[in-house]
Amino acid sequence: MIRVSADFAKEVKKRLGGETITNCYQCGTCTSSCPVARVTNRFNPRKLIVQSLRGKRDDVLTGEMIWLCCSCFNCQERCPQRVEIADLIYALRNIAISEGNVPNIYSEFVSALYSEGKLVKVAGFTEKQRENFGLPPLKKPDVEAIRAILAETSFGEVLKVLEGKE
Amino acid sequence: MKVGVFISDCGGLVSKVLDIGDIEKYIRGIDGVKLVEVRDSFSSGEGLERIVRAFKERRIDRAVVTECSPKIAEIRILNRLKEEGVNPYLVEIVDLLGSCILPHRSWPDKAVEKAKVTLLAAVERAKLLEPIESRRFPIEKSALIIGGGLAGINAAIELIDTGFEVTLVEREPFIGGLAARMVRFFPTDDCALCVQAPIYELKGVTKTSRKGLYRSGVSELPGLNIYTNSRVVSVEGEPGNFTVTIEKKPRYVDETKCIGCGECTKVCPVEVPDLFNAKLKSRKAIYINAPNLYPPVYAIDETICKFKECAKCVEVCPTKAIDLDQKAETIKLRVGAIIVATGFEEFNPEVIKEYHYGEYPDVITQSELARMLDPFGPTGGIPIRPSTGEKAKKIVMIQCVGSRDRRYNRYCSGICCMIALKHADMIKKLDPESEVQICYIDIRTTGRMHEDYYERAREQGVIFVKGRPTEIVLNPDSGKPVVIVEDGLTGEILNLEADLVVLSTAFVPSSGSKELAEILGIEVAEDGFFKEYNSKLRPTETKIRGIYICGGATYPKDAPTTALHASSAALKAGKFLRSGEITKDLKVAVVNEELCGDCEFCPVVCPYGAITTVEKEGHVVARVSELRCEGCGICVGTCPKNAIELKHYTDDQILAQIRALATKLDPKEPVVLAICCAECGHCAIESSGIFLIEYPPNVRVMKVPCAGVLKVHHFLEAFNAGVDAIMVVGCKPEGCHYEYGSIKAAQKVAFTKTLLKALGIEPERIEMFQMVHIEGDRFAEAAKLMVERASSLGSIKEMIKI
Amino acid sequence: MKSYALFLGCTIPARQLNYEISARKALKALGIDLVDLDGMSCCAPPPIESVAVDASLAVSAYNICLAEEAGLDLLTICSGCFQSLARTNELLKRNSQLRKRVNQILSKIGKEFKGSIEVKHYLKVLHDEVGVEEVRRNVTKQLKNIKAAPFYGCHLLRPSELLKFDDPEKPRILDDLIEALGAKSIDYLDKLKCCGGLLRGYDDDLALELARDKVMKASKAGADCIVTVCPFCFINLDLGQIQIARKYNENYSLPIVHYPELLCLAMGVEAKELSPRSHRVKIDKLLEKMV
Ligand code: SF4
Ligand code: SF4
Ligand code: SF4
Ligand code: SF4
Repeated sequence: MIRVSADFAKEVKKRLGGETITNCYQCGTCTSSCPVARVTNRFNPRKLIVQSLRGKRDDVLTGEMIWLCCSCFNCQERCPQRVEIADLIYALRNIAISEGNVPNIYSEFVSALYSEGKLVKVAGFTEKQRENFGLPPLKKPDVEAIRAILAETSFGEVLKVLEGKE
Repeated sequence: MKVGVFISDCGGLVSKVLDIGDIEKYIRGIDGVKLVEVRDSFSSGEGLERIVRAFKERRIDRAVVTECSPKIAEIRILNRLKEEGVNPYLVEIVDLLGSCILPHRSWPDKAVEKAKVTLLAAVERAKLLEPIESRRFPIEKSALIIGGGLAGINAAIELIDTGFEVTLVEREPFIGGLAARMVRFFPTDDCALCVQAPIYELKGVTKTSRKGLYRSGVSELPGLNIYTNSRVVSVEGEPGNFTVTIEKKPRYVDETKCIGCGECTKVCPVEVPDLFNAKLKSRKAIYINAPNLYPPVYAIDETICKFKECAKCVEVCPTKAIDLDQKAETIKLRVGAIIVATGFEEFNPEVIKEYHYGEYPDVITQSELARMLDPFGPTGGIPIRPSTGEKAKKIVMIQCVGSRDRRYNRYCSGICCMIALKHADMIKKLDPESEVQICYIDIRTTGRMHEDYYERAREQGVIFVKGRPTEIVLNPDSGKPVVIVEDGLTGEILNLEADLVVLSTAFVPSSGSKELAEILGIEVAEDGFFKEYNSKLRPTETKIRGIYICGGATYPKDAPTTALHASSAALKAGKFLRSGEITKDLKVAVVNEELCGDCEFCPVVCPYGAITTVEKEGHVVARVSELRCEGCGICVGTCPKNAIELKHYTDDQILAQIRALATKLDPKEPVVLAICCAECGHCAIESSGIFLIEYPPNVRVMKVPCAGVLKVHHFLEAFNAGVDAIMVVGCKPEGCHYEYGSIKAAQKVAFTKTLLKALGIEPERIEMFQMVHIEGDRFAEAAKLMVERASSLGSIKEMIKI
Repeated sequence: MKSYALFLGCTIPARQLNYEISARKALKALGIDLVDLDGMSCCAPPPIESVAVDASLAVSAYNICLAEEAGLDLLTICSGCFQSLARTNELLKRNSQLRKRVNQILSKIGKEFKGSIEVKHYLKVLHDEVGVEEVRRNVTKQLKNIKAAPFYGCHLLRPSELLKFDDPEKPRILDDLIEALGAKSIDYLDKLKCCGGLLRGYDDDLALELARDKVMKASKAGADCIVTVCPFCFINLDLGQIQIARKYNENYSLPIVHYPELLCLAMGVEAKELSPRSHRVKIDKLLEKMV
């Protein structure tokens, strides 16, 4: 039997970024705005929202849909109900990740930020090139400070989840 | 002072619980009480006559009456006393059953004590009651109607039929409003211009105006005076006696001479796009919007006319009707009532840039489509592509453009779905081969016969796409607009290429609504439409007596609803005007001009705009309009100088009652004073009695018209007199009968808390409660809470006098 | 000469020297002084927001704090950095509750978000502060023959309510700045649609498909190049074309250039000083057309 419930919407509403989910009246403006939805039917933001509103928690959190948004904010700009759709999708991703559903690329981002304080490492070769072109030497981020900050946020939990996975 | 106390046993209900003898004994001991009587009832028959006689024989000059249906009893007693020439405001009515018996059945002993103190307080108040004067205000038996659209015309005809003179002011050169542009009206597809003037009686002959506004004879109605090209620039005076200033812009054509031959237009050299006809054709500087509009005479557009430089029209006019020297006129008139019927207008969709209205010529609005569909209109009834002039064979409509959109207007405009369906139907009837596709979020067809249009549209093959388009783009190859929309039911994204895209825009308040509201002293709501006094039950009244609103001015409406609304406003205005005078008991605020000066707080807070300021001996002092004042007392509670007082609820009267209610017959029992407003607050307390919900008898109740009348020193005095805790009970802020009364009271309670803290007294001894009238259970709960609090805190040790 | 704290971000200094070099050169020439502050980290863009929104806010606020301490407005080159930082800045300025929450986190390292500075993208600085006229005056080599397709990308414009960069439906800034160089800024279908860059790494095929759509539409409109301002757009459209050629067997060879590269060229800087090898799609054709 299919169960329909507002529980998941309530849960999402409480998250940073998820507050506006219940504004949605399913007009589909987001979907026709969405560059991804225009090229593939694997993704449809309106459907993602309606699934959430109906309480299909597992489908939403373990499906691929939440990862297919390219954060272009087109939908958010045009939504007549001011649903913060892209932010809402971050919120859904946050929940998924905190429950261990982490696509590889995101684990890479997590460890890069944690170990380097930056997402991209500068190759030795590039440093040379920089010098050749007369660019100033790169200043280093304060990795310790970044780690201290991350530890105070839910990022800390994510790190634990990831460790557990390994 | 001789006070008579009349205790009704309410058919034995009181004596069943309370020892009336004991109470009577106590009352007799109160200073000033000269007469005590106990009977079954005092609100009718012999009981009531006994009160009357006691007054007339001068045995008493004030009275306290207890009755169990106090509202009805009050009306009966008041009316009877008035008949007999006794000023009814010398009587204080108490509801013993509701306040001392029903809610306290478990504590009969304590209930007796409460009854005693309640009566004591009533006597103390009664001693200070003053007669209230009644005054007659004459009313001018005529009305002004602002706005000559469907609503205004209907209201005018109704009022004239009822027997009043009406002046109708329309700011455009022609009456008819937005409705005149809409070709046909649902639900019966009548010609829009024909429905403009409804059925009315003229010299015993019933006329139905099926032949266009100009032939309906609306202009010939006796007592109707129409000013076109005119605006109301100021309104002064009082309900029943408004002085209205109207500015009439020159038309440059004498309405009485013009025969509508149109010779002038032929020679006029100035040509501009015709806005009335969606710029689909052009018009001259001297023009008429449509041949069947009223007045059927030409007008000159002064923004483009070359006047003396040209004057060609003057020469050709066979009746010499054109006068290029015409000047603006100012007209002053006195009316008793005003009806605002300014309607609504189309939202300008240009701001929704992704739809490119105003940029892509083939994207138009429904009213523009309506002009195309008018057989007498610029395209002869055929929808065309403005970019090329070709017939439009494929039409895509977009619903909710600017409606139901938090970025623009949150509300559903209510009629645009029907307009779209009506137009789809017309297009399909015209040419069944043409394609119509409607993109919608929800289709709303409430109203009789409205769903028929939806059914018919489906039968005719109109395609409904459930989705709100994200944008309209131009196909670079075909040059045609393409609507991009998700079909929510299939999940596909469609590119609907069309000859013509029609936006079903929102409808918004007519421009200038805010300014007009200011001139009239009434309000517009958040959505910009005029605000009703009560949107449920009094939808055509405003907070000012004598000023009414109707039709689209309060919210977009279809024709049948507008007609109903207009009749309602006309009826209300007629009721007000009918008697030629208003009689009013002056339970109003009175300014003490000695104390008042220069602060101007009260004019701002008065919800009825009853207070103005005048110069007096170099000071600005407040002046209350006796007619507008509704006696809430918010001004009193706001005045920092105690310079304004509410008759029948003066400071002395309020304080006397408070002090008496503080009386502790049993020193061990805490006393909680509940001061409630006469509206929701008091109703909530009453309803706890009615629903037999109990609360401790330690709570003693007193009523004021609105909690806004209360002042901080009332509270301090109450504590001083021995009250252990105070609860102020008012309406919910959003439902406050006097708009801000409850909010003001809450502010004062909050302020009192800080004062108490400073005095070393527990601030939680005073609380504000805001409730709806039926929340008896909430009141009982609050009462229990406060009594518990008072018990645990104990008495106030020492109150420092302020 | 106005000074700004430069926020370089992660990608540009590591992967797109052409962008960093040209931006630094151009801004300097137009009188904008850039200060490289110590300790600047990652802006915490969408990939980090996806992991933990609170962490993203805190890290991006941390960077803002560094600029606040230096008393300088923050200038970004990357649009992604602009969005993360400007958004955080605006959100925290507006929402005191959120600010409290973030400041509690920052207090652990002795920092506090004060809301005392602005975050700006250099395009806006060029347009509003330097001025289009001034840019035009500095052009020594009019790019008369060039038809350039401006590509704003997403994170410069949206969410407009917070970023307030330009009209999100009809932006002009980049168009104006392109025309200041004498080039023609052309209109093309879906100009404001996303290039799909952020899908790289999760679903490369999809990212490519979006890039292809973009390149196709710009080509069809007759563009000589697409002008970008974001490193992610650049990668997806530039490197993307090499992959498109492989996957779809379609060869667009449409040069992708960052605006400051174009600006530098118009101001007479030699192409070889601008790390032309950072481009995967050869720009020679474009350069030829300039003379
Ligand atoms: S555009 Fe907004 S309201 Fe419409 S379906 Fe998407 S999220 Fe819901
Ligand atoms: S933000 Fe995501 S869901 Fe919204 S339009 Fe862009 S890709 Fe689609
Ligand atoms: S009536 Fe229909 S088109 Fe108009 S706002 Fe309501 S739902 Fe939208
Ligand atoms: S009592 Fe109320 S209605 Fe009368 S003047 Fe004062 S505030 Fe206005």
